Parts: sequence; C-alpha cells; structure tokens
Amino acid sequence: MTRVRVEGIVKRFGDTLAIDGVSLDVSPGELFTLVGPSGCGKTTLLRIIAGLLEQDAGTVRFNEDRMDDVPPYLRNIGVVFQNYAIFPHLTVGENIAYGLKARRMPPDRIATKVAEAAKLVQLEGLVARMPAQLSGGQQQRVVLARALTIEPRLLLMDEPLSNLDAKLRVQIRALIRTLQRELRITTIYVTHDQEEALAISDTIAVMDRGRILQVGKPWELYLRPGNRFVADFIGTMNVLLGRVEGPGQAPGRLSVVMDFGERWQVQATGTPGQPISIGIRPESLQLLPGGNGTEAWNALQGTVTEVVYLGPVVRYQLRVAEEIDVTAEIHNPDFSAIHAVGDRLTLWFAAGRAVGLPGEAGRA
Amino acid sequence: MPEMAGRRRDFWWSVTVLAFLTVLAFLVYPLATVLGTSFTGEGNRFVLADNYQRFFTHRYYYSSIINSLYLSTLATLGAVLVGTALALAVVRYPLPGKTFLRTAANLALLSPPFIGAYSWVVLFGRMGLVNRILGTFGWELPTIYGWRGILLVFIVQYFPFVFLLVSAALRSVDQSIEDAALSLGSPPRRTFRTAILPVIAPSLTAGALLVFMATMADFGTPMIIGEGLRTLPTLMYGEFINELGGNPAMASTLGSILILVNTTALMAQRYYAFRKAYNVVCIQPLKVQRISPGNRAVLTVIAYAVVAVALIPSTTIIISSFMPTRGPVMYAGFSLQSYQTIFHLVPRAIANTFMLTTMAVLLDVLLGVLVAYLLARRRSHVHALLDALIMLAYAIPGTVVGVGLIVVYNRPPVLLTGTWIILLVSYFIRHLPYPVRTCTAMLQQIDVRVEEASVSLGVPPFRTFLKVTIPLMFPAILSGAALSWMTTIGELSSSILLYSGPWATMAVAIFTEVFSNHFGTASALASILIAAAFVPLFLTYRVLGERAALGM
Repeated sequence: MTRVRVEGIVKRFGDTLAIDGVSLDVSPGELFTLVGPSGCGKTTLLRIIAGLLEQDAGTVRFNEDRMDDVPPYLRNIGVVFQNYAIFPHLTVGENIAYGLKARRMPPDRIATKVAEAAKLVQLEGLVARMPAQLSGGQQQRVVLARALTIEPRLLLMDEPLSNLDAKLRVQIRALIRTLQRELRITTIYVTHDQEEALAISDTIAVMDRGRILQVGKPWELYLRPGNRFVADFIGTMNVLLGRVEGPGQAPGRLSVVMDFGERWQVQATGTPGQPISIGIRPESLQLLPGGNGTEAWNALQGTVTEVVYLGPVVRYQLRVAEEIDVTAEIHNPDFSAIHAVGDRLTLWFAAGRAVGLPGEAGRA
Repeated sequence: MPEMAGRRRDFWWSVTVLAFLTVLAFLVYPLATVLGTSFTGEGNRFVLADNYQRFFTHRYYYSSIINSLYLSTLATLGAVLVGTALALAVVRYPLPGKTFLRTAANLALLSPPFIGAYSWVVLFGRMGLVNRILGTFGWELPTIYGWRGILLVFIVQYFPFVFLLVSAALRSVDQSIEDAALSLGSPPRRTFRTAILPVIAPSLTAGALLVFMATMADFGTPMIIGEGLRTLPTLMYGEFINELGGNPAMASTLGSILILVNTTALMAQRYYAFRKAYNVVCIQPLKVQRISPGNRAVLTVIAYAVVAVALIPSTTIIISSFMPTRGPVMYAGFSLQSYQTIFHLVPRAIANTFMLTTMAVLLDVLLGVLVAYLLARRRSHVHALLDALIMLAYAIPGTVVGVGLIVVYNRPPVLLTGTWIILLVSYFIRHLPYPVRTCTAMLQQIDVRVEEASVSLGVPPFRTFLKVTIPLMFPAILSGAALSWMTTIGELSSSILLYSGPWATMAVAIFTEVFSNHFGTASALASILIAAAFVPLFLTYRVLGERAALGM
C-alpha cells in the first residue's frame, strides 16, 4: 500500500497560479478526495501526481520514492478519467489487457488477468465487444478494470461519475468503493460534487483557488467547517453576523449579540467587542412550540417568505431582519410543522450546533 | 500532454525543426525569391517600383489582373449560387436519389479543370462533336472560346465543391434553430436569412474562397479555351518561358501580385470564419420540407440537370477516348486506337505520373500526420507559424511555386532543375495542406485523455502515438491521402514549368496533345487520369463511408 506525500506543489499556467503551494499526506489504503468548484486546481493537482503535468515547484512522494523525475509511464498508477478515455479501436478485452501487454506479460497470464478483471467489474461475457457497443456505465467499468488490472501503486480518479446518469452514478460509486476497500488500494479521487465526496471518502480535502482550505473526515468538515468557504461548499450553511459580548455560561462558549438583536450562546472563541460570523445548518434549526428557555438553546424569530414541501423535509425561508434571511429544514414534518408564507415563527437550536467561522467576519 | 512539450529536445522537437526546414526551403525561400526578383531591374539592381509601374501602366500587363479578378469573381459568385441552391434543394426537399446526387457531385471533382476545358472544346469547339452535328442542320452555337467559355468551365468545375461543403454544413444545423425562429414569428425567408445562413456562412465562405483561389491560380483553362485571353497565371507563364528570352522580373511581379491577391482572400475568409464560427450541436437535423408533387418534379429535373452538366466533362472525355479520331476530328464508332497510341508514344509520362504522385503522397502523409499531431497537441507560437506557412501552400498558385523553385534551384550547390526531384518537391509541398488539415481536424476530435490513459498504463508517449493515436487517425490519414492524390495526379500549372525532357507527366502530355490537336490521345490520357483519381476516392468511400471521406 502506498502513502502519497505531496509537498509544496506550485503550478502556473502563464500568469495564473493554478496550484498555490499545496501539501497533502494520503494514508496507505485510504480513499482521499479532492473536492472544490471547477477551476480550483483539483484536476491539475491530480495530473501532477499522475505525472501528466510537471509542477513548477514541490515534490511528490510515493512512500519513500520521489516521483518528480519519473515519467508517467513508469509511475505504475491507474488513472480513470471523466470521459472514460477508452480506446475505441480496441475490444473490451484488449482495453483491459493494454497495460499488461506494455508490461510484457505472457499471453496466457494476460488472458487470466483480463478474465479476473472483467469479473471484478461485472463485465464477463462482454470481453469481445467493441466500446461503441457499450453503455456509459459499462465503458466506465472497462476503464476501471483496465486501471486496476495493472495492480497500480495508486489509483487516480478524475470525476469518474460525472458523465453518468444519477442512478448509474450511485451504482458505480458503490462499485468503486467496494473494489477500493477489497483491494486496499490508495486512491485519490477528484470531484466537484460535495455529496459524492461525503459519500465515498475516508478523507476529504476542500480546495479553492489553488489552495487546500481544510482536510478532514467527511463529518468533521460538515460539522466543524474551518471557514466560510468550506461551510458553504459542503452542504448549506446559514451565516449570521454578530459581536462577541463576553464569555458564555459554559466552558468553551461565548455570549454573542447578533446584529438582529438576539443574544446567543455559541461554541467559539473570541475577545469581547470582536465581530463574529455564526454558522448554523438549516437542519439544526427546530420549531419547538413555545421553545425551551434553558441556556443551552438559542432562539430567533422570523417571518416565513417561502415554503418548499418535499415530503420527508419541509424547507422554509424566513426573514429574520432587514436583509437577513435564514433557511430552515424541518425533517419528518407532521401537520403541526406546516406553516404558510407570512406566519411568524420562533426557531430554536442547540448552542453546540452553532459554529464560529473565523477570518471572514463582516464579509457577506 | 501539451505540457510535456518543449521540455527537452525530443522526437517532436526534431519534427518541428524538420517541418520548418522543409517549408522554408521549398516554399518560403522560393516565394521570397519571387518577391525579391519583382524588385530587380537591369543587371540585378534593386528597383523599388519599376516593374510594378510597368505592370500598372501597360494595358498588355494590367489587363491580366482585370481579367483574372473579373473571371474569378464571377466564377465564385456563379459556383456559390449554383452550389448553394443545389445543396438547399437536396437537403431540404424530398428529392429522389440524394446519395446519387452527392456521389455524382464528388465524381465531378475528379477531373482537373484544364481537362474540363478541353472536354468542352471536344463538344463545342470548332471541330466539336455537337457543333458538327448541329452544323449539318445549318445551326451555329455561340463560341465556347474566350471568357464566357472559361467562366462556364469554372462554374461547372467548382460548384460541386460549394455544394458538398454547404450541404455538409446544412446537415449540421439543428431543426430547433429553425423552429425557434419560426415560433418567434420570423417568416420562412427571414428565418433562412437570419437563423440558418449565419450558421452555414463559414462553410459557404470557405467554399467561395476555394473557388476564388483555384480560379485565380488556374493556368490550363485559359490556355486551352482562352484564345489568347491574358490572365495572371498565363501571362506569368508567358513572361517566364519566352522564346525571345524570358523576363523573370516581370514574371515575378505577376507572381507577387497573385500571391498578394490569394493570401488576402485567404486571410479575409479566415478572419471572417474565425469570428463567425459557431459551435452547433445537431441532435435533430433540419426537416425535409413538404412540397407539391408538381414542384417536386420540377425541382428534381433541375437538380439532376445541374449535376448532369457537372458530369459532362468526364463523360465526354471517357467516351471520346474510345472513338476513332483524326487530329481534332472524332468519328462515330469504337476504337482502342487512342490507347494504343499513348502506350506506344508516352508510356514514360504515365509511369512518371504514377511514380511522382505516389512518392509525393507518401511524403505528404508522413510529414502531414506528424505535423498535424504537433499542431493539435503541442500548440505553441512556433507551431501556429508553421500552420500558417503550410496553409500558404494552399493559397499559392502552382505557377508561382514553379517559378520560385526554378529561380532558387537552377544552379549549384542545389541544382534541381531538369530532374524529377523538382517536380516531386513541388507536388509534395503544394499538397501537404490536405493531410495536415484532415488529420488536425480528426485529432481535435480525439480526446487527449485517451493518449494519457495509454501513457499512464505504462506505454511511453511515442509508442502511444503509434499504438493509439495513429490507429484512431486512420480515417483522416486515408482521406487526406486521397485528396492529395486526386489533386497531385492532374497537376499542370507547376509541372508545365518544371518538367524537362524525359520527366513529362500525363497532365503535361495531355496539354501538349491538345495543343497539337491530337484529341484522341489527349482523351485517352485524360481518361486514365480520371480513373486514377477515382480509385483512391472510391476505396476511401468503401472503407470509411461517405461522410468520413468528405471530412475535408
């Protein structure tokens, strides 16, 4: 199993800085996801690790081996591309055998390995077909088999699901995850889809403008986003502005006066008088009739401006004050949780569910 | 993998250098010499404007540019009108036998224009078949000779190009575009003008450019039926090859003017097409419109008549090659006499043509494939320049290239005049753009990631190029080769200048036979030429299907 260490990678395209000093440490056997909006540098970083692009500065190590001067065809990595990159002039079997032939494996060994790989990705019986006769999902499985059969040190996947329809996406995602766990192969996975990232990853790195903003387990990123960008990119976050009043009623808490007048207890650090951004997930907000007045709960009042009823969830937009709106999601709503536009409501949330988002206070 | 380029002096670096040296030696340097020579006077002295002043003040000279521009403009308009109208008829209306019409249009492109000119002389010339038949009734047709005849030949020769380009463009327009315009209240005529025409405009102007440049450059047609009408290429030839001692300076001046006119046209179209090119995604092609049976019949007759006219030249040539002849007069009947004569008289020219064409096409394909890869995958300023220089070969008339090559390579250390090599060089450099174009277009459709996947699976870049890229480019290689072959085999305008003694080609032999009034042998040679041009096109069709073969 391969540990991948990336240190201080810098890459420029002309005047634009695509990768701005990125370092990563990918543990052996884990599925590590780079997630970020398009143009954030995630694919560029992946291509540098693959050796398809050369970095301007920094090093890439597989275990203890420096890969910087190793050409891509000697790195022994499997790459799965967004648009399959299947060889259209070769059969499924020949596609899978391609890397093995390059390794000068004897033909009978190749035949065995191709059959194994085809079975692994559930393509038995299609080995003699041409790629044009396959569906998108089947093509992607050929490419997966082709990448896995060379027993690579590392598997790199660049948006492997984005050309598939929603149903297939979930299927292939599960297949990738199962194979990756079974074969215990270190995998770096690139996607712009935060939901996909949460579903598939052991570890996620959120990227923006060529930098890594936060690395962590999926739930760490979701529950404790390190900054405003991560908070917004992974899921939905209500961000509200206030000012620190002083220490709170419990250790680790602050008392904060919000711009719209409420006084809250939140999980954050800060000095009195300092402006602060508070993030609350829509599903952390609850509609408790009458509320709960203990110090562990914060409240806010608003007028309903929009209702979207989705069955398991009802989503409200509420106007809290001039120019300040929040989104609340009430799960498993009963009749009592259904309200109409114009209703005045009180929303509650546990103090532990509010996160202080540093650095970006005052910026919308 | 564009990033991996220029990192070191690898194989592709050598290809870049080789391509540049080739283009510089065989195109840029000769053309620069032509330009330079146009500024020399007595005793190789530099003169700024003497030759140009002479050109623009003597009617003998300046009438050539007037004639050339006049003919090319009218021919372009005519070919665009006929070609576009036919394309619209075939694509948008329920005509029977559409594939036949397209195939026929393709066949019409097989014979070089000067052979087309000659075929009209066979039919309507002074001793022409049709004229002699009509003469027995005491009727007389207007003369085929002179500018009207040239114009007829040009339009008949080139409208199929416009037809093929425009119908391909029309077939890539999505029905939703027309539906949207109509639903927004735009009447059909306005919809065509404002919604469909702009989308096909790049192809239409590309067709117009092709006709304009080809007719500007055409040397054989005005020579055969111009009856002394001076155009830029014929006057240039006359000035260069003159029994009273050629005038290279004036020939170069004419050549420079030709270069200027054609490159201006080329750049104007490129600029226009670059600004006006739209990416159209065609899911649902344009609907075939319903018309009344009467209109359908009329349209069918017109369309078939137009295509039939385009086929008259090759048909005439092939039929007349099997007729007994005496000089320019042909008699009814069947005879292999003409074929016997040519195999006896000019077997060498036939062998030369096939040898030189094969070699030139092989070289074109070899360098074309490599250069196309550079242009598509390793794009840099250097390669953009290379691209522009190669496209220059497409715009420069053969007469100019011929004169340039002679002026540059007529003395040691590199003495090529009088050898077959100079013909090969001209064929090779002039038709290099075809495989470069078809292969570049193809490479732009092949995802780079396919090559990257191969590299990541352990196959080094050059072996990836051989194992993955080349097989995927195969259709483009084939159609590029077929186009190169078709245009090389009947090449006259530079051959007539560059050949010497034993190295005459079939095109030269046909030209000479026509001028010595040996119409039977000319027809037999021309038939072989047409058949030889047809075979690769036919094979490409069989291998790739119609659409891919017309990838150009």
